Amino acid sequence: MENDLTKGEKILLVEDEETLAIGLEYNLSDEGYIVDWAKDGKQALNLFNATEYDLIILDIMLPYYNGFEIAEQVRAKYPQMPILMLTARTSAEDKVRGLELGADDYLTKPFHLQELLLRIKGMLKRKMWYKSSSESQPVYRFGKNEINFENLHCKNGAKNFMLTQREAMVLKYLLENKGKIVSRKELLENVWHISSEIETRTVDNFISRLRKYFEEDPNTPVYFKSIRSVGYSFNDEK
Amino acid sequence: MKKRRSLLFLIIAFIFAQIAWMGLLGLWIYWYVSNYLMFKQVGNKLSPQIVIDSPNVGIFVIGIISIVLIAVAMFFIFRNLTVQMKVTRLYDNFIANVTHELKSPLSSIQLYLETLSIKSVRAEKQKEFLDIMIKDASRLKKLINSILEISRLEQKRIAHNYHVYNADSIIRQLVSDAAEQFRLSEKNIKIEGELQCKCVIDKDAMQIVFDNLTDNAIKYSMPPVKINVKLSLLSKRILIEHIDNGIGIETKNQKNIFNKFQRIDNKNIPNVKGTGLGLYWVREIIKFHGGKITVVSEGENKGSCFRIELPIYKTSKKFYINKLLRQTARKEKIMENADGE
Repeated sequence: MENDLTKGEKILLVEDEETLAIGLEYNLSDEGYIVDWAKDGKQALNLFNATEYDLIILDIMLPYYNGFEIAEQVRAKYPQMPILMLTARTSAEDKVRGLELGADDYLTKPFHLQELLLRIKGMLKRKMWYKSSSESQPVYRFGKNEINFENLHCKNGAKNFMLTQREAMVLKYLLENKGKIVSRKELLENVWHISSEIETRTVDNFISRLRKYFEEDPNTPVYFKSIRSVGYSFNDEK
Repeated sequence: MKKRRSLLFLIIAFIFAQIAWMGLLGLWIYWYVSNYLMFKQVGNKLSPQIVIDSPNVGIFVIGIISIVLIAVAMFFIFRNLTVQMKVTRLYDNFIANVTHELKSPLSSIQLYLETLSIKSVRAEKQKEFLDIMIKDASRLKKLINSILEISRLEQKRIAHNYHVYNADSIIRQLVSDAAEQFRLSEKNIKIEGELQCKCVIDKDAMQIVFDNLTDNAIKYSMPPVKINVKLSLLSKRILIEHIDNGIGIETKNQKNIFNKFQRIDNKNIPNVKGTGLGLYWVREIIKFHGGKITVVSEGENKGSCFRIELPIYKTSKKFYINKLLRQTARKEKIMENADGE
């Protein structure tokens, strides 16, 4: 059933290695996705500007424009576009740069086919959940804050800023479970779609960022409360 | 960023050291001259009959020479250090490029193997995938071989089989073999001119030269690629001009392209693959043959012309060429003896 939901989604595959691209295209089509293949940076941007995609698989070392430049341009136009970076570069520096520029996930070559397919499915599912839940309530207000979940623009009094896609997803998940206690494990599994084996500190970092954005005094939070040794809870009702 | 900062630090330290030396020298001269004047005055007053010797100019000059030598030595150390830093940077690029080049075919092979093992793939697709895997495996083999050749080249072992050939026929054969390897037709590659002389060549090594030049012409041209090879004679040398209609090379990069690990960063270059070793090999192999290679390009999108000059047999570089032939003969004799035994 879940599989059916993501079928027919359009994926832009940006990969200059022809042999790898043929194999990826075959597998993605076999999973029911519609795939367009761009073999260099120029072609990728042309296709992205002409067609609406649900996900982009992006190599970094590309002719004309590299993956980082493409990610930047994609993010500027469409902040919610899920981007999976698929690259031979393994340095932590590259990974951090990719994630900072808005890649949602980063997979290094050589990779396992099943892992790649699962990650793509996870990203598409997250996008669908986010989209359906944002459509029903695109703008949310609490206290002095106003968040537009469609374009990720926020207002805190007179201050304007933008959330990253992941920050918006964490916030959205907490809002959907307003008043309830959400564990770190639950957030990792539902927002990141990864098992809680990785450090739960990732979640703590995101919560402290949200506090900085939306709380008057981040050290004594009113909306984003910590529930000791369990998780977090969001509540804006006084 | 970190490297740029450390280079800046190095330059500042160097300038500071030079100022310190010069300052010390200035102070020393000032101290020496003022003391000399003072002694002269005091000496005259106290006892005019004492003759004060003129300052010992010898020591003074030796001192200045020593300080200048120290400054020059420091300059050379500094220059050497910056060259080393540049090589390290290029080497880092090389490692990144090679990693990318190695991982790409490997990922592709892994992807197809996993596809075949997980999914039920139609027979004709299976055949297609197997063919792709064979192609990727041979790419890997080629790359690994070329990396291994670096050390052979460094030890001058890459070219060792020199023989005398008719220049015209051997160069034509090398060019057409390269064309055949990259599946270029007569429309794409033309040979003009004639060479009425003999030359000494290691055929396998020289094939690497023409393969690399042809490969580069294809990589850096918008199809259809057009290569024109012009053969002519200079007074004592053979001139081979390898001309393409590619994207050309900016003047500032023309000197660097033969350096080891050098890759030119250019947004308009349609292909980003490579190790930065190809033209380095080309230059080294030509050097082993007693020749030289230069590049002429009027700039971007105006094509490139690689000019190879090789000595004519028995006319130029006689001693060096005969040494190469003697070395080959000696090696062949050893091999024959080994076979006989």
